[in-house]
Amino acid sequence: MKKIYKAKVNKIEKVSSSSYFIEIECENPVWVEAGQFISIYCNGLTLRRPFSVYSNNDGKIGILFKERGKGTKYIKSLKVGDDIDIAGPFGNSFDIKNKKALLIGAGIGAAPISYLKTKLDNENIENCFIAGFLNKDEIPKGMEIDKICTDDGSFGEKGSVLNYIGVIIHEYKPEVIYACGPHIVLKIISELGEKYGIETQVAMEKVMACGIGVCRGCVIDIKKDGKIINATVCKDGPVFKGNEVVWES
Amino acid sequence: MGKLSVNLGGLELKNPIMTASGTYGYANEFDEFIDVSKIGAIVTKAISLYPRAGNKHIRITETEAGMINSIGLENVGIEKFIEVKIPELKQNNINYIMNIAGSTIDEYVQVAKKCENEKIKAIELNVSCPNVKSGCLEFGTDENSLYELVSAVRAVYSGFLIIKLTPNVTSIEKLGIAAEKAGANAVSAINTLKGTSIKLELINGKYKKTIVQGGYSGKGIKPVAINAVSRLYKVINIPIIGIGGIETLDDVLEFFAAGAEAVQIGTSNFTHPDTAERLVEELDEYINKSGFKSLDELKKELRA
Repeated sequence: MKKIYKAKVNKIEKVSSSSYFIEIECENPVWVEAGQFISIYCNGLTLRRPFSVYSNNDGKIGILFKERGKGTKYIKSLKVGDDIDIAGPFGNSFDIKNKKALLIGAGIGAAPISYLKTKLDNENIENCFIAGFLNKDEIPKGMEIDKICTDDGSFGEKGSVLNYIGVIIHEYKPEVIYACGPHIVLKIISELGEKYGIETQVAMEKVMACGIGVCRGCVIDIKKDGKIINATVCKDGPVFKGNEVVWES
Repeated sequence: MGKLSVNLGGLELKNPIMTASGTYGYANEFDEFIDVSKIGAIVTKAISLYPRAGNKHIRITETEAGMINSIGLENVGIEKFIEVKIPELKQNNINYIMNIAGSTIDEYVQVAKKCENEKIKAIELNVSCPNVKSGCLEFGTDENSLYELVSAVRAVYSGFLIIKLTPNVTSIEKLGIAAEKAGANAVSAINTLKGTSIKLELINGKYKKTIVQGGYSGKGIKPVAINAVSRLYKVINIPIIGIGGIETLDDVLEFFAAGAEAVQIGTSNFTHPDTAERLVEELDEYINKSGFKSLDELKKELRA
């Protein structure tokens, strides 16, 4: 099946002080793996905007987004029943292991991790989902999280998720860590994984043009077989093994 | 051949819609979106003698009416292209033109020789990549260097030879004339414009600047491209392939009116990955509806 759809907005709602949930219904159900993304054409803008998938109920695609610029401003303006032009799903996905899992989501990065949690739960794989937000108003309503951190301490533990990962690794003893969030968070998680000998899988983000690996616009450096090579976030990723990424400081 | 077929004087295409180098991969990558074999021809990503890793840092950014790229000609190199991609192109019945980039005349010549050996029927020389610091841009901006390069490639390659011209010059006519004199079969115009984007963010009283310098493309460059095609049309006798900001059927017709025999779709492949296939269908429908007997007749009317 071709990966471009004329779809409709099935639901759009504000779910926290700064984030929105939109559910998109295509003509036929579209099935998405955890970690994959779709791209949305935003009226008049040249580049489609990529979003990790947050939910996939009955083949409908749910994403979580914040208003950050022209693209997300357009998406925010959509109403139920409006047409929407989407393409995807693109990219690889989390490589789900039958191992005790620590799931980490920072900010809007909690969205694909939350979707991964539902997959792990469906497969009865033991997991713990920790997510960090700026404050309690930023926590998306309806997201099921085992442990919440807020930078200002207005809900759950005070401070960044990074402050707690060391302790959780010791107490919970995960065999694999899956994470999504800002670059610096993923870098530190990957380093911790290496330190404790735990596999890490991180979902990365980068400005993209084509979404299918041809334009080479979204490359990062990764280590493969002792060499440093280019990998596209859109096709080779967005999920990479933390210890394979060459982290920029 | 059908109603949409076009003969560029040595290269027959089933229709005049092509996809531009760097926006479409090497072969069948866009089959995720469309039936690639329906397009007149795809122009491959620029291929060099050896693989290239391309540039570091930020490679793309959106602008008000397009985008800027600074990929730096990342590509798999000619050997891998021949080994892996050509079989894929043949298997999927895709008509292709191989785009070539190099830093020295010798590099272009070596790649062109391999194309001759492989019987690749059409090549397009990228003589004007704005993102590579070597001599590449020099060929595209100096008519004597261009003449020398094209003559050298012509001497070893007997297939259809297209020279992709840069708009970053005072007189594109001189470059077009040099290409024709040196034996090119066609020119394509235009490559990207040099552009710089500065994005500003005020954080704690200090500006964070994100600067991307590279090739500007997209709908914003269409008038520049049409200007280049019109000027070339007046002074050269080889076919012109129009490129620059094409998204709609009207855009295609405007390029025909300016003198283009065929067109390439670039940035729009990113915005709407089905653009090329849609334009083939729309052009077909338009010719049928408006009563022109052929594409040539339509072009004649558009230029009258």
